[in-house]
Amino acid sequence: MNSKTEKTSISEDAGEENISPRKIIILGIGNLLLSDEGIGVHVANELLKMDLPPEVSVVEGGTDGFRLLNIITEADRLIVIDAVRGGEEPGSIYRFDINEIKNVPTGFKTSVHQVGILEVINLSELIGKTPHATVIGVEPKSLEMSMELSPEVKAKVPRVIELVLDELKHSA
Amino acid sequence: MAQKITIDPITRIEGHLKIEVEIENGKVKNAWSSGTMARGFEALLIGKEPRDASYITSRFCGVCYSVHQLASSRALDAAFGANVPWGGNLIRNLVMGAEYIYDHVLHFYQLSALDYIDIMAVANYSGNDKELLAVKDKIVGLVKAKDTYPLTPRYEPDEFTVKDPDIVISAVKHYIEALKMHAKARNMGAIWGGRTPHYQNIVVGGVTSYPDINQVARFRTMLDEQAKFINKVYIPDVLAFGTGPLWPLATMGVGGGHYNYMSYGDFAKDASGKDLVFPAGVIVGLNPADIKIDAVDQDKITESVKHAWYKENKPVHPYNGEQIFKLDKKDAYSFVKAPRYDGKPMEVGPLARMIIAKNPDVIGLVQKGAKPGAVARHAARAIETRLVVDACYNWLDQLLTEMTKPGFKIHDTEHWNPPESGMGAGFSEPPRGALGHWIKVKDKKIENYQAVVPSTWNASPRDEQGVRGQYEESLIGAPVPDPKNPVNVVRIIRSFDPCLACAVHIIDPNTNEIRKFLIE
Repeated sequence: MNSKTEKTSISEDAGEENISPRKIIILGIGNLLLSDEGIGVHVANELLKMDLPPEVSVVEGGTDGFRLLNIITEADRLIVIDAVRGGEEPGSIYRFDINEIKNVPTGFKTSVHQVGILEVINLSELIGKTPHATVIGVEPKSLEMSMELSPEVKAKVPRVIELVLDELKHSA
Repeated sequence: MAQKITIDPITRIEGHLKIEVEIENGKVKNAWSSGTMARGFEALLIGKEPRDASYITSRFCGVCYSVHQLASSRALDAAFGANVPWGGNLIRNLVMGAEYIYDHVLHFYQLSALDYIDIMAVANYSGNDKELLAVKDKIVGLVKAKDTYPLTPRYEPDEFTVKDPDIVISAVKHYIEALKMHAKARNMGAIWGGRTPHYQNIVVGGVTSYPDINQVARFRTMLDEQAKFINKVYIPDVLAFGTGPLWPLATMGVGGGHYNYMSYGDFAKDASGKDLVFPAGVIVGLNPADIKIDAVDQDKITESVKHAWYKENKPVHPYNGEQIFKLDKKDAYSFVKAPRYDGKPMEVGPLARMIIAKNPDVIGLVQKGAKPGAVARHAARAIETRLVVDACYNWLDQLLTEMTKPGFKIHDTEHWNPPESGMGAGFSEPPRGALGHWIKVKDKKIENYQAVVPSTWNASPRDEQGVRGQYEESLIGAPVPDPKNPVNVVRIIRSFDPCLACAVHIIDPNTNEIRKFLIE
């Protein structure tokens, strides 16, 4: 039994404290074998070592794309960490809500890999379970075959973690 | 005069694929299949500790991670001399069984169905089903916003497209149900794999974690729900479409190809390992009246790079394969190599497996007049899903029995450490078809590593003799009355369930466009 369940009080007045807390999912995506493409995976692996509030889950999503639907539909709040090609200097950090870019007709180039996170969010709408989703993206330098990040991008990992923790504060 | 059409990229598939066809008199006269992402993750493995292979290869692809983990572990089993106990094989089988359940259903509804129905018929829906109204609103809204992804790009409905609003609306309802089933099914593999995505449990010698009775029960409950959907919705839908509105496409045999088929064989039904759910075999030039099946001899596998962007080499066995890119090579047009069996191109996947198994349902459809092709491929995929579901129940029962035996084992711990040197091949039959991994070990490190994935067989370019790959051949003769609307081309390609995410990888983010048409 986990202690949280034991602490839950039961009252006839279904007050807010009895509603299960919002579930926040931090999803790091990317390909670990293509250097900076794997930034989301590297950040997720760091976050997994940290002590986060119980309503927060960290998921290292690899490049699963379409098949992340089970994770996305479980979340009330989704924070995605990914490599984003925006054309700025390597290591530049982007932040945007999915809603801000969703209706860009030509298909905003959010990701250098084939994750299709927009597509998955679209599909989650069809089954009526769309989380409020924010992307924190990092401009890659290298997409060469390697399991290491480039120095420029690696240097930004602590800052990305800070930004994710900020998002959590605002989501609480 | 022949007219050339380029479809780049083919959408609603996994990975990046370009198809070029030459049309003459309303039919495809010639075709080129081109993997446009560079491949070669194997190079990362050289010099590494051999046991890392099953983890690193599981990152080849975000879709088929467990599939690579299994084939890689089997290659290591062979190289290390490990004998996986039946308990370990049962759990490996259950992980793969779950893979079939979500891949095949997703492929039919989310990736393929839109090729066969006129989705815009939903706009005329006048009933009061809440979910359907939501879909109608969504589709109408997207059309207004000019953003119909992921439902587009779509081609104009043709003579084979189902336009009857009742059938379309029922299909859309099932599309949504399939999405929900899919989200649930993703958690089945995680029961054994410890997490999702990228399971962690399959290693050389077996699996890492002993099952408990609750895991068996949870898997069975989830399987019950999936089985109900598969048997009552998915299979009837595929057969109703295939033998109904799509029967003309089926009898025309659109998307046939070379009629050569191969299955490595997989999924032992019991500990003896003799009886397989998917038997192994090779068929060259299928004659449906007299199906002749040869045994698979893996020594006969070679890969040609004559038309691929790699350094010139004669066709070699995967043990000796290499990937040194050469981009300015004459006659090259793909990052996919051309694997051949005894020099011949092969189709791998559900249709190959079901013909080699002489499955009575699939053979029955052929006897009624369906020719092996795009429609038969969908039917074979649905039918084999049922075989896998039935096998999963059987494996769960056997696992419970094994668990009660004294000395129950899931791993061959004696052979955990790498040998000084050795070599091994690992084969499996994941949803998309025959997968092989080959490893050479020297000084306890990986000396060479090669994977030949299902879509490499199917999507291959021409070989040394100029013989087309299976996608290419399957397009020949396909009706394309309107070159601006090559719907049959994408129907054929998508019927194979292409997954080039591992065959190749993105190199050029500028190709990330919704659709590009070139007409010369």
